[in-house]
Amino acid sequence: MTMQPIRGGSLSEAEVTTVPRVAWGAPAERSESPLVQGLRRLRRSTTALVGVAIVAMLLVTALFADVLAPQSPITSDQTHTFARPSWDHPLGTDQLGRDMLSRVIHGTRISLLVGVSSVLLALFVGVPFGMMAGFYGGRVDTVVMRVMDLILAFPIYLLAIILMVMFTPTAGLIGTMKVTGAIAIVRIPIYARLVRGSVLSIKEKEYVEACRALGVRDPWILFRHVLPNCLAPIIVTTTLGIATSIIVEATLSFLGLGTQPPTPSWGWDLKANISFIQANAWLSLFPGLAIFVTVLGFNLFGDGLRDALDPRLK
Amino acid sequence: MRVYVLRRLLGIVPTVLMITLVVFVMMRSVPGDPVVALLGDAYDEQDAIRVRQAYGLDKPVLVQYAIWLGKLAQGDWGVSYMTGRPVLKDVLVRLPVTLELIVLSMGVALAIAVPAAIVGALRQNTWADYTATTIAMIGVSIPEFFIGVLLLLVFSIGLGGLLPSSGWTYLPGTCPTMVCGASLWGNAQHVLLPAIALGVGRAAILTRLLRASMLEVIRTEYVTTARAKGLSERPVVLKHALKNALIPTVTVMGLQVGFLIGGAIVVETLFAMPGLGTFGIDAIIARDYQQVQGFALLTALAFVVMNLLVDLSYTFLDPRIRYA
Repeated sequence: MTMQPIRGGSLSEAEVTTVPRVAWGAPAERSESPLVQGLRRLRRSTTALVGVAIVAMLLVTALFADVLAPQSPITSDQTHTFARPSWDHPLGTDQLGRDMLSRVIHGTRISLLVGVSSVLLALFVGVPFGMMAGFYGGRVDTVVMRVMDLILAFPIYLLAIILMVMFTPTAGLIGTMKVTGAIAIVRIPIYARLVRGSVLSIKEKEYVEACRALGVRDPWILFRHVLPNCLAPIIVTTTLGIATSIIVEATLSFLGLGTQPPTPSWGWDLKANISFIQANAWLSLFPGLAIFVTVLGFNLFGDGLRDALDPRLK
Repeated sequence: MRVYVLRRLLGIVPTVLMITLVVFVMMRSVPGDPVVALLGDAYDEQDAIRVRQAYGLDKPVLVQYAIWLGKLAQGDWGVSYMTGRPVLKDVLVRLPVTLELIVLSMGVALAIAVPAAIVGALRQNTWADYTATTIAMIGVSIPEFFIGVLLLLVFSIGLGGLLPSSGWTYLPGTCPTMVCGASLWGNAQHVLLPAIALGVGRAAILTRLLRASMLEVIRTEYVTTARAKGLSERPVVLKHALKNALIPTVTVMGLQVGFLIGGAIVVETLFAMPGLGTFGIDAIIARDYQQVQGFALLTALAFVVMNLLVDLSYTFLDPRIRYA
């Protein structure tokens, strides 16, 4: 058991929100929060920094895909099909003569967009439900957790695949949103369970009791005092969850149920080019490598975060 | 114990009913009409109405589900709208292929994970440990289909077609027709790459977990006692430490079944194997309701039974855990 600095619960912190920020900023008065300590530890971990670097690089690639990609990812050129990697096409071209490098660069957008937004969507739905279930217990708990258990009772790919068939996969932003939705639904119970478990123990703490005694309203207790204390596992689960979601997205695309062409998607490109793997191995290789590097980046980052935020695991 | 198992077995029923009901309702809310696909160019309104009546598709969804359930209770899994073949027969032909794939991939996973985790934990923070954890990290981050593609590139294309890239040779005794050639050797050639492709990712996950729990267990007092008694390293590691470290690992292995089913779909698609995974995905995409129900039923059963087996294995791993 590590000693946790006592946070919240005092009248001043619970009620007085108009105090100028300067008062809080005085470092000598206030001990460093566990989150800040964790981030300090994160900075010392080489593998985590490699993860952060990969993720940052991917973000830049996704944001500036239009500038970075040498050509359009969807314009085909029938005169240059299956070109081997060369100066003009560093990763070659596919069966429609599209530049693979540009497709891989633009694919970053779909992967990151789906990976990050599906996890955030699941978080914004799952966390409040988990908090309610844990905090109020009783019937609320039973109803919420039964629904979550029902989703968890599904093998995740079976549910994701059927959801995608229901939504009918399409191209473009709408298609991407459908994939995001399908993956988010599958991930909601993970957050609900995680948060419920933390809340169950936190709500018994003295500072929550003190808040109650002071007449602080439930939503304020939940968001100001309970939520900050279960943030660490949420952050770790989210980072690692992005990695999983990117794999699920790539897998759905691979099965033909992700964002549809012509929108560039790594999973789809890998699948589409397998028929030509005999003579043009590189075509499947690069999208696959892109998926691998992306997932690796988020996994390293998430692992580092976990070590940093939960020192007991070291 | 017996009461516990019975109670758990009974508990399977509502879960499986819920899963199949949800799949049933979801599939029927998929846009598009399977009758249109079935009749194809010959579609005409009269025929469509007749086909719907013949298959009971004109009734409310819950009534259809009740009918499906009633027939299921009599051992009738329904007949595929598209192929006209009984679903149970199709499923039984494909089940051994997927079972073989999953069992072998778990074998591959354990064969890699157990030694790697033991070495990693016993020689913590040495180059052997770093190698094991780095490879595990890489393994966790590669999706199954990309491992499959890499294996294809090396063994099917690179090494002059050493191993086949697609298709299947049945194990003797599981051949569904009279004409398919079954052979042990041919089967081994076909199953090797898919099993590795599916197993490597699991191996990586298990290595990380098992290494972490081995590290914890190795520092406990009973391991020190075992060493102090003068036991040699082998029984200490294998009997005292490993067995106790396996508990969280087994839990996660159970949870991995959901991913294994997805992995089987992907790997079977990649290697064109006639297993349940390809059966399921084809049925879902073609909206063959009866086949999808059969697939969902079997998947749900496998999933629930695996979780039960995981719970029961605890009593073997830790005799203090008893289910009264």
